[in-house]
Amino acid sequence: MAPQFFQFLFNGAVYGGLLALPTIGFSLLYKVLRFPNFAFGTYLTCGAYTALVFNVELGQPILVALVAAMVVTAGVGVAIDQITFRKLRNQRALAVAIVSIGVVFILENIARFIWGGGLHYYRIPVHRDVQFLGIHMGKPQMAIFTTALAFMMLVQLLLKRTRLGKAMRALADNSTLAEIKGINTERMIMITTAIGGGLSGASGVFLGIDTVIEPMMGFSIILSIFAGAILGGIGNARGAMMGAMAIGLAEEVSLVALPSTYKSAVGLAIIILILILRPSGFTKR
Amino acid sequence: MTAYLVAIGTFVGIYAILALALNVQWGFSGLVNLGLVGFFAIGAYSTALLTVHGQPFIIGLAAAILLAALFGALLAMASLRLKEDFLAIVTLGFGEILRLFLINEDWLTKGTNGIKAIPRPWRQAFSGGYEYFYLFLVIVAVLLVYLILERVRIAPYGRVLRAIREDEEIASVAGKNTFRFKVQAFSLGAALAGLGGFLYAHYITYISPDTFVPALTIYIWVALMAGGSGNNGGAILGAVVLLGFLEGTRFLKDFIPFLSDVRLAATREIMVGVFLILLILYRREGILPERKTIP
Repeated sequence: MAPQFFQFLFNGAVYGGLLALPTIGFSLLYKVLRFPNFAFGTYLTCGAYTALVFNVELGQPILVALVAAMVVTAGVGVAIDQITFRKLRNQRALAVAIVSIGVVFILENIARFIWGGGLHYYRIPVHRDVQFLGIHMGKPQMAIFTTALAFMMLVQLLLKRTRLGKAMRALADNSTLAEIKGINTERMIMITTAIGGGLSGASGVFLGIDTVIEPMMGFSIILSIFAGAILGGIGNARGAMMGAMAIGLAEEVSLVALPSTYKSAVGLAIIILILILRPSGFTKR
Repeated sequence: MTAYLVAIGTFVGIYAILALALNVQWGFSGLVNLGLVGFFAIGAYSTALLTVHGQPFIIGLAAAILLAALFGALLAMASLRLKEDFLAIVTLGFGEILRLFLINEDWLTKGTNGIKAIPRPWRQAFSGGYEYFYLFLVIVAVLLVYLILERVRIAPYGRVLRAIREDEEIASVAGKNTFRFKVQAFSLGAALAGLGGFLYAHYITYISPDTFVPALTIYIWVALMAGGSGNNGGAILGAVVLLGFLEGTRFLKDFIPFLSDVRLAATREIMVGVFLILLILYRREGILPERKTIP
């Protein structure tokens, strides 16, 4: 029982780490644009397939594929924002959320059109698992966790130490005030979308390494992303990272008691619990 | 050819009821439902399970409508106290988890095998031409739902829903318990989706989790947005347009023979997605805009 528990804990840390990356951008943009962008999950799929092209079809090492996935997904995120969401600023938030569902539908089926509905895998060197206290720790999983942590620290540095980061936080905090102070809202939205897209793309590669690559892979974790963002307080980047880590851990540890098929129900259950227990909301001021 | 048209007509009717259901929620009251397919599934499965075990159809019908309404009310109550956005994610999650439940709980739902040999109402009374009779039943159901919803729309009740949709604060300042209205409207829509599930299950006589995929929810959204959100006639027209499109693209294969089935399906879904976005961006009111004046 005990080693099994620690195994779930390790898996949860890995999953939480990769979950934290898309949650940052999702949460910041949710606060600024006031609609939940459901396409964030599918940005992971976009990154995963981009890396598949570079890694398998072009024969590049996975690190090159990771960088390519981040760049391409950042571009796709910005393009989608400019083509669709930008035309709907100041419109009813829920109509924009429906548009984002349409985007999910389109991106997923582009992947299905090109690569089919089947499962794909990266070509990465096979390593033996490291055994420690009776738990198996895959080298790719450890790499995922450390890279995800490094990305989170970079985001934290960017937000706290740079003018750009300050402007981003100011916008998430109070967009009207930020605009009065001369912050170019549209430019900030574009930069946040690019960073959020890039991080989601990286997360998609991690998810592809950890599990499999298939068209629905990204959208299937949108509940967890949403739950992490709510738990951390919408618009709060550090909260988003911690919230997503907590959700990742909760989902994996829940396997102690729950069949794995209902793993994704944990995120929804946590959302509903928050809604019932804290109807005042979680954004602390 | 007539058999084909009768089948298409029956499907249009079932889609029309789903579009009318979404119209009560989104069109009248501005409530998002991204798990419409879940309520449809609850209706289909509850009546299927009851009637294959020998219960009368009326019990199946009541269970389909009431269970869907109950789930709708619960989800709405849990999520509508906060921002309305949360209804979007909660319903989306509900639809997905219900599907997982249908796949995994073999003891109840027979898992991916689905439920076979669902009985059809008054089947023994017909030696032939039953399909026409069922089409007639579906048309009666659509008309009934249409008349009820027109009544709701014109009544003061409908006016309150629209007021909540446009500006909830003003509606609540005017003394309306907006939370209760929203829960009721959402629950009514869910009940109608359950009715759609009833009609579907007894028409097809075989249901499995494969039918209740998220794509169906998107289809109904497209139907409602195309026909005219807020307009009951528009919801029905949208179902006709949707089925026309879905059936029309079937013949795409004759023109583009090198397209595999998977690619053809993907192309069709991409077109549906693009259509949905274009409608919201450029023609929010649909073909038949909501009527602003009430007779």
